[in-house]
Amino acid sequence: MAIQLLILGVLLLVIPVFVGGIFSDVDGMRGGLVFRWVSGQFLLWAGFQFISVPLIIRERNFSQLVWGFWLYMAALMLMAAGRGIRQIQRRVPASLVKGGGKGKQVSEMLFWAIFTGLLLFQLVQAVRLAYADGDDAYYVAISAMTQDADTMYLKIAYTGETTMLNFRHSLAPFPIWIAFLARVSGIQAVTVAQVILPVVLIAMSYGIFYLLGVRLFPEKGGQLPLFLIFTEILVLFGDYSFYTAENFMIARSRQGKAALGNIVLPFLLLLLLIFMKKLQEAERVPVWCYLLIGAVATTACLCSTLGALLICMAVGVAGLSAAVCYKRFRCLVPLAICCIPCICYALLYLLLAD
Amino acid sequence: MWSEAVDLFREYMGTGLIVILYMVSLIYLWIHEKRKYIRVLFLYVPLILLLLYFNPMFAEFIIGTVGGEIYYRIIWLLPITIVIAYTCVCIYGDMVQKQGVTRQSTQGKGAMHKAGKKLLPGLTLACMGGMIAVSGSFIYDNPFFHKAENLYHVPDSVVHICDAIHVPGREVMAVFPMELVQYVRQYSPVTCMPYGREVTVERWNYVNPLCEAMEAEIIDMAELAPLVREAGCHYVILPADKEKKGSPEEYGWILFGEMDGYVIYREPTRELTIPVLN
Repeated sequence: MAIQLLILGVLLLVIPVFVGGIFSDVDGMRGGLVFRWVSGQFLLWAGFQFISVPLIIRERNFSQLVWGFWLYMAALMLMAAGRGIRQIQRRVPASLVKGGGKGKQVSEMLFWAIFTGLLLFQLVQAVRLAYADGDDAYYVAISAMTQDADTMYLKIAYTGETTMLNFRHSLAPFPIWIAFLARVSGIQAVTVAQVILPVVLIAMSYGIFYLLGVRLFPEKGGQLPLFLIFTEILVLFGDYSFYTAENFMIARSRQGKAALGNIVLPFLLLLLLIFMKKLQEAERVPVWCYLLIGAVATTACLCSTLGALLICMAVGVAGLSAAVCYKRFRCLVPLAICCIPCICYALLYLLLAD
Repeated sequence: MWSEAVDLFREYMGTGLIVILYMVSLIYLWIHEKRKYIRVLFLYVPLILLLLYFNPMFAEFIIGTVGGEIYYRIIWLLPITIVIAYTCVCIYGDMVQKQGVTRQSTQGKGAMHKAGKKLLPGLTLACMGGMIAVSGSFIYDNPFFHKAENLYHVPDSVVHICDAIHVPGREVMAVFPMELVQYVRQYSPVTCMPYGREVTVERWNYVNPLCEAMEAEIIDMAELAPLVREAGCHYVILPADKEKKGSPEEYGWILFGEMDGYVIYREPTRELTIPVLN
């Protein structure tokens, strides 16, 4: 089990951080290691979506997808390594973690301690508590079947009967990504989905809140951990209805729609924040920002078929608002290009799904 | 369609107290936020998205295309958590800043007065945290949460039964009581079932005669046995304490085992050959 967990650790932490090295010198690397982790994971997710959907539609084996995704990961790691070598040659200090604990006030240390304590509490609860959600009977069963039978969406999740390809769900193959993790690590898909992924994805959500906090409170040290504590309180007391993103984050984190609401959309908000700040400062919006918005758009489609609509709405409204407010209408073109994956998957959905 | 959008919004917001906090935060940011890009992203964009959400034509198009059940997810585009948390910290920051200014101008005043002023931002912080807690509902109080019985987060009974009926190298068909149905194939993808979770969702109106016979208050073996045979089941799992009309053995069923409050019967008419594994 220890080796299997180690493999998952490499897949979910080490490789994304390494791949995120592609963005290691962007925007002064605010957010450091966390930014690398999240952006690297988004590149991996986007690639998984691009590789998996054609293979699923053509009813290919899961093993072929596994090999294809390994090749993609290897290519990304080579690119990241190439960038790393170039940085060393340019003698750019590869500092991963910004700042340090120098000069921190007692109150700030206390806030960080409270934040860490609350985060650990949620991660422990994710392992200790089970949440009975009927949708798992579909999503987790799809992951388990894919790991076992080597076919994708060709069996009915509820009964195990062989069936025609389920187009509606196959366009958002987040459960297949879970099956990939299960296949490579050798841990049963149900354990990966119900126990390990919630820990990683909840931590990633707070990682994105941290990145937002870094940009919202650039120079006020103590306010960042305080902001994170408030996000934690809002999440912990976010069960005011069954539909809230916070409920999905804590209770149903292994489902793609939970990742959409708590990882994809907050990360998009962060990228739009960077985008608008650049417009405000009359600077050129960097290519990496658009590349990541594109990766976010593709990941949204991996998580949920509704992701395409939500991303197009968010990017469209934010882009138009920014264009009007800053009178920079040319910025709408690259934003529209970023939404092309969403439009393609939405069209596929309308054409193929029953 | 508009009324459907309104109903979904109302359901999403629960008691509505969080919406009030969100609105208060928006008003605060409208007055105090100086950075334009934050105003655009935290104020203008959510307002336009809300207008879109409540637009009857937009609602009709989206609900018609993707279905009404998931229309509420558009509300996820409003950064409610981020905006409320940001506003709370800004209010605290402003108070601390003002306190710093006042401290310089009120040097020499009473110690009690100073201590009270010093505590004010902290108290405000605690009040804001308390208001959020009171407005919401603690997530781990949700009745669907329960202590996990194992590392699969499915009931132990499912694990034990699936392991007991597992035949290496092949699938088996088994019929389970309703309360176990949603967990079986999460744990064991080689355990097939004649019906699955679809029978547990009332609004889907899925009727299965075998399920009805299994879930009857008193199981009528004369009714159940032919349905089990017709569905091609190798095994039948029944709650041990469930009353039965007729004996399973009379219908040729063989008692396979008993565990965790359930009895497992083997239906022998369906062949169960164990494949030769390399």
